[in-house]
Amino acid sequence: MDMAETATRTTVAPSGPSYATRRRIEGWMLVLPALLLILGLSIVPLIQSLVLSFQRWDLQSQEHPFVGLQNYRDVLLDARVWAAFLNTGIIVVCAVAAEFLLGLGLALLFVGDFVGKRFAMPILLLPVMVVPIVVGLTWRMLWDNQYGAINQTLSWIAGHDVNILWLAHRDTALFAMIVTDVWQWTPFMFLVLLAALSSVNPELYEAAALDGAGWWQVLRDVSLPGISRVIAVAILFRALDAFKIFDLVYMFTQGGPGTSTESISWYIYQLGFKFFRLGYASAVSFVVVIIMTVIATLYVARFLRGGDA
Amino acid sequence: MDSKPTIDPKHREALESFARARASRRQVLQSAAGLAALGIAGRSRSVVARSAAPSLSPAAISAAQRALRQNADSAQAAVDAVNALDPKPTELNVVWEAALQAEDPKLFSGPLWEELTGIKINTIEKPFEELFPAQVAEHLGATGAFDVLSMVPSWTADFVSQGLVEPVDPYIEQYMAPADLDDYHPLYKALMNYGGQRYGLFDDGDTIILYYRTDLFEDPANKDAFKAQYGHELAAPKDWTEYDEIQAFFTEQGGGNSWGGASQRAPGQVYGWFSEEFRNRGGRFFDDETLDATLDSQAGVDTLTRMIESNKTMPPGIETWGFPEVLAAWMAGQLAMVGGTWPPYGRWSEGTTAEQLNWVPETQVKGKVGYSVMPMGHSLHNAGFSLAVSADSANKEAAYLFIQWMTSPTISLQRVMLPYALRDPYRLSHYASEEYRGRWPNAGDYLDTLSAAADGALLDIIMPGSAEYHTALDHLVTSAQSGTPVEEALLTGNTAFNEITDRIGREAQMEAYENFKALKGSYYS
Repeated sequence: MDMAETATRTTVAPSGPSYATRRRIEGWMLVLPALLLILGLSIVPLIQSLVLSFQRWDLQSQEHPFVGLQNYRDVLLDARVWAAFLNTGIIVVCAVAAEFLLGLGLALLFVGDFVGKRFAMPILLLPVMVVPIVVGLTWRMLWDNQYGAINQTLSWIAGHDVNILWLAHRDTALFAMIVTDVWQWTPFMFLVLLAALSSVNPELYEAAALDGAGWWQVLRDVSLPGISRVIAVAILFRALDAFKIFDLVYMFTQGGPGTSTESISWYIYQLGFKFFRLGYASAVSFVVVIIMTVIATLYVARFLRGGDA
Repeated sequence: MDSKPTIDPKHREALESFARARASRRQVLQSAAGLAALGIAGRSRSVVARSAAPSLSPAAISAAQRALRQNADSAQAAVDAVNALDPKPTELNVVWEAALQAEDPKLFSGPLWEELTGIKINTIEKPFEELFPAQVAEHLGATGAFDVLSMVPSWTADFVSQGLVEPVDPYIEQYMAPADLDDYHPLYKALMNYGGQRYGLFDDGDTIILYYRTDLFEDPANKDAFKAQYGHELAAPKDWTEYDEIQAFFTEQGGGNSWGGASQRAPGQVYGWFSEEFRNRGGRFFDDETLDATLDSQAGVDTLTRMIESNKTMPPGIETWGFPEVLAAWMAGQLAMVGGTWPPYGRWSEGTTAEQLNWVPETQVKGKVGYSVMPMGHSLHNAGFSLAVSADSANKEAAYLFIQWMTSPTISLQRVMLPYALRDPYRLSHYASEEYRGRWPNAGDYLDTLSAAADGALLDIIMPGSAEYHTALDHLVTSAQSGTPVEEALLTGNTAFNEITDRIGREAQMEAYENFKALKGSYYS
């Protein structure tokens, strides 16, 4: 290779980053806006609230010193936190269980054809489309002891005046919240399970029928195993969502009487946005996140990973 | 309604002396503020340090003082001053309690102010329970979203310690006719002051009074039957025993369709009823030496026990009744008494055609309403509002002038008479207003009762953390109503109080409590 040839090759050699690098940069440029948005709106506040959870940050304090794990220690000793967890747990377990059973029943009904199905379907889906705070307001009127339709209906059935103070006592108020939550969210469960049931291979049903399987056997051995992963995901979604219950507590009882119907979200809201105990509220929030993460991880490991579902 | 500003002769005389003695008055004010500031020490030192004197517009001051010299009142002075501002803001953001309260700035005072000054009033509505957090949150975020704040007097300690509000003494000194300041009822005038400085202009006299049906009380058959049953005359109750007797008497007569009385018992504001009766019985919130909560004293036990017992002769489900439920039953003629509520009941009972009140049942009690200070003599001043200048406002001077105009005798009189609004009388001139006293046959009795109630009113707790203390009181009452034994509920209240006190700091709270006790209306025994 002589000097002239080398010079020519040098001249024509590609300059700047390689094709692969350019592609990588382009890729980064495309995701950068979304990345910045997530960082700005989610990660940074999360880190900031984590820092806050180690500070004493109260409305009344002029300084906001770091207090180490003091807030976390206080959370563990705070009876209201655990009472709120208990209330939330009761609502989640009862409401999600009822929603699953009702949703499954409806899905099994609607997976077949019947007269009026097209008419009934959208009506059943309406509650899930209503804004939760509107659901709370509407149902608060229904549960009203004096003017509410529920007591009135019970009075007709009983043949005498029924005057239950649904929202004035812990047990009945929690019951009212569960019923209302079930009313609103059963359609969600129904829709998900209906989609899952519709996707089960029809040949399996035909085979089961040829084997002489009854309705219960088909459900137990064909339908449920076929949709078990969807069931697991639907229950996880609903449970995580129900755990955040706030609207119904806000509209029904404001956590009362006393603090007996506080949910964990309501308590955190009170601490953070009513009394501005931001350090402590952040600590409670992180304890909730940790507990929920552990529960969700165990649940996923048990029901969604591997072949067993 | 005569909207033309007029001036009382006594105001004129005061204005003239004001003009003569400006220099000496300023010195007196400064000395007084300085002396009072010494008394509050630690907590407010940082606040005082933050409160630099505002730089006021010489042109605006000149315009206001010219108006005052010409015998105009504080309303006209404010208008002239704001019109002399250069630059003059085009709008002011005013945060206000949502719904009926907000009808005033939206329909009456806002448009009138805009007509007079060209400054548009943007009313930002917040439900009552969100007013406190929304205003604090905007301040913490340093958004400057609000020019004028709505401040319940019990929030003053927190608002001041966090630097949300601007001291208004320097503005008052330059812009307000002194006679207009003296026109405030003494209770409400004192509520504007915290730690030796004024942090707002009081704007809503929310002292609770008792309402009763004169037709039922004066009915000879009822009088005889009551006297035969209880051994004393049927009259407005002087204590809670008498109240419960009257309530039980009429509830028995009502046969399930009407009741002897009702008081709010729903969570949120029921603490007020406990707080009032507790102190009327000699109860004190804290031990003077240790600041330990003393809610479980005999006064606490007696109060809570009686409240629970009294619920039994109120309408079924009273534990869930708030302001609208009691109002509906009262207006429908189903109650012989309302065991304490806010002043609008008096106006609405006499009928209103305001479309904003079309949700209120048509009154069946017009011309049948008597008024009384609450049993045991001391009514509670529950909530109420001051208007304050936001420390984050970019238009502080205009904001101040707006609230001076709003609360001035002439404008505020019109506002407390609006059929649909919720602002209630708080100036001596309101109580004395011939126009107001002529609104219905016994409107004079109504105003006299409000004035007498304010004379001996008890105040909400005014200390840092007051919202938390009040919530703890609310919790103990609602908890007892749902079946928790009275002693246990009170002890839980004590625990909650002590936790709040310890968290904020006993030393600081002791000082704040001493300041609270120094206010007329903290305790009467």
